[in-house]
Amino acid sequence: MTTATSLSGAELPSGPPGPNHHSARRRARFRRGVTGWLFIAPAALMYAAFVLRPLLTTIWYSFYNWDGISVGTWVGVDNYRFVLTDPQLLSSIGHAFFLIIFFAGVPVIGGLIVAALLQEIKIRGLGTATRTLLFLPQIIPGAAAAVAWVWMYATNGTVNQLLSAVGLESVTRAWLGDFDWALVAVGIIGSWLGLGFCTILLIAGIGKIAPEVYEAARLDGATFFTTFRYVTVPGLRAEIGVCVTVTIIAALASFDIVFMSTQGGPGYATTVPGVQIYQLGFTESRVGLASALAVVLTALILAVVLPIQRLFRET
Amino acid sequence: MGTGHTSSVRRAGFVAVLSAAAVMPLVAGCAPPGSENANPGAQTPVRVNTDLGTEPVELTLYDGAGLKKVDDALIAAFTELHPNVTITARYDPDDVQAVNAPRVIASSDPPDIARVIALPGAVKNRQLTDLGPWADAYGWEQLPPGQLAMYRVDKNGVRGTGSQYTMASGFTVTGLYYNKDLAAHVGMTRPPASLHELEQSMSAAKQRGIVPLMAGNKSGQVTFSVQMMLNAILGRDAVNDWVFNVPGATVDTPGAVDAVRVVAGWAADGYFPKDTNGTDSTTAAGRFAAGEALFYASGNWDAATLQAKMGDNVGFILPPVRDGDRPVAMSDPVSNFAIPAGSDKKNAAAAFLDFLRSEQGRQVVVDGGFAPSGSGPATLVEPDTLRAEIQRAFATLVAADGQVQFVQNATNGMSGTWLPQVQMLVAGKTTAADLTAAVQSSYEQDLAR
Repeated sequence: MTTATSLSGAELPSGPPGPNHHSARRRARFRRGVTGWLFIAPAALMYAAFVLRPLLTTIWYSFYNWDGISVGTWVGVDNYRFVLTDPQLLSSIGHAFFLIIFFAGVPVIGGLIVAALLQEIKIRGLGTATRTLLFLPQIIPGAAAAVAWVWMYATNGTVNQLLSAVGLESVTRAWLGDFDWALVAVGIIGSWLGLGFCTILLIAGIGKIAPEVYEAARLDGATFFTTFRYVTVPGLRAEIGVCVTVTIIAALASFDIVFMSTQGGPGYATTVPGVQIYQLGFTESRVGLASALAVVLTALILAVVLPIQRLFRET
Repeated sequence: MGTGHTSSVRRAGFVAVLSAAAVMPLVAGCAPPGSENANPGAQTPVRVNTDLGTEPVELTLYDGAGLKKVDDALIAAFTELHPNVTITARYDPDDVQAVNAPRVIASSDPPDIARVIALPGAVKNRQLTDLGPWADAYGWEQLPPGQLAMYRVDKNGVRGTGSQYTMASGFTVTGLYYNKDLAAHVGMTRPPASLHELEQSMSAAKQRGIVPLMAGNKSGQVTFSVQMMLNAILGRDAVNDWVFNVPGATVDTPGAVDAVRVVAGWAADGYFPKDTNGTDSTTAAGRFAAGEALFYASGNWDAATLQAKMGDNVGFILPPVRDGDRPVAMSDPVSNFAIPAGSDKKNAAAAFLDFLRSEQGRQVVVDGGFAPSGSGPATLVEPDTLRAEIQRAFATLVAADGQVQFVQNATNGMSGTWLPQVQMLVAGKTTAADLTAAVQSSYEQDLAR
């Protein structure tokens, strides 16, 4: 209290000249503030109604044992305790992290290599053709892609036909029904979907790197790998950051591909939190528990993605 | 400096969200979710009337899209008898209907007739009409006891006894399809009459390089085999008690472990196709029709496809039981129709339910490929067809009162446990004892909620 008074007292002399002037400026600032708020109001209202409210309701539900219809009962943090101790739910979170290798790792590294090669080779038409081909999976909904891959992975599907054709008949199997391979098989669908997205983004990024830099590197006798290491990758820092962020979220929050291809099976081999949330909430009517898992998943995604954002932003 | 500022603002925002999150439940503590739906169903009493009169009545019906054909046919036949009644049907995809039904029947303007799968929950929440008065008026207590049990729920949410809340449009019936050519090839001169004969035939098939028992276990079809053995070894009442949630009912018993162990043995002996966990039910039916396997454990819903593809080469039997036992098989309601508590045309809706067990209603259901509700004289099917064979099997089953509900329907979450567990069983990733323990623990968890 004393400090505050003395501070404001000390400020007065060096402050703006008159009290009149002071309030006029404050009023102007206030008016500008109100106008600003009015401008963002429509968007802010929509955001509050369709993003914040559901988010907060989910958090609220997560403290209840609720079947979605009858009156819920308060259970405190019991749902969270269950999520964090149930081996099956924990293993589903583990599977989501494993999928990062395929949903994020393969597309980002693959995309970098393809983009760098296209920059290096520069044959007319090749770039457009590659872009179109790689981007094609992006315009197919994940659910539809999963159905197509289910056929390819079937006992007599394309994958096994190819393997038999090259003499690898002994390794053929029903890939999505195999306890050891199902999760990898699901991951490959994710790689196939994500590769195009990353490649397009990275090709666009390479376009922004000054051609002079590449020219200078070539004049200095830099090899493809040196150019890649010292020109392309550093120049694409921001784009790589976006790719990594988006694909990691896709891996951790995966639902459509897994739901349409395996529903989490065989056994519990490919369960992921997204599918568990759906099953708990809608099939088993355990809305509280589903909400708690959703909150934990959101927190996990933030915990993984926020440091990555920082890593790629700092120069 | 700038970065520090932004990050502190961001941090402040984050803290705000977190604290809002922390405060939210406290604020809401006085009004738990669902309170707004909690009108403890002061159902307006209705005077029971079995005469529909001549005044126009408009009913609404809600069901899964897979049953549209048979429902539309039932509605057409019913409204022909009662021209003053119109029934508007609304369909959602089957799995969507199962998920949405509790919310639809709880709404302020519910349908007058709706398929209800999660029966105890709907009764507990007082969303359904107690059909007792209509049962008295129409004489529904004459229905076969095995069917009536599927319609009843008592005050504690235990099924099988108590008041009647539903009536089935018809029934599914499960058993074993067999390929007649392959049967002759392996020396099976007649369909197996006992479990022992079934195992002999399967062993003979295996020796000749034929898959003994087709199953699409990506869709959990090995559960049919598991329940077939549970039915045979534990008996109808023990299995139904478990499905109906009778207090103390358990499958974590030596008998149940023995039953599951038989199926685990079949898997170990290679009786199921090698890729069963990667094969869905549609593909399995197709592969059986193509002549890959001797038997296929499934239900009447596959009959039309199999008959079309296999002609006279396919037969159907009820699941074999131990010597001297009465037949018992899974046979669920096609649509277990209830009248939501909020319906204001209960007399007309009840008349539709009664129509389901009438001669005309039964014929419509049989023509639609299902087994009919109630009991009565043999219905008309072309003789010497697969469908006739299935109808005969169903009549035998009803006469022996051997209808048992699917174990997956014991609780809302049960199919989510059986599916992964049977997949692990055939892959040798779990044992019979671990499976029954896991299933029972998940069952008790569901019931404790």
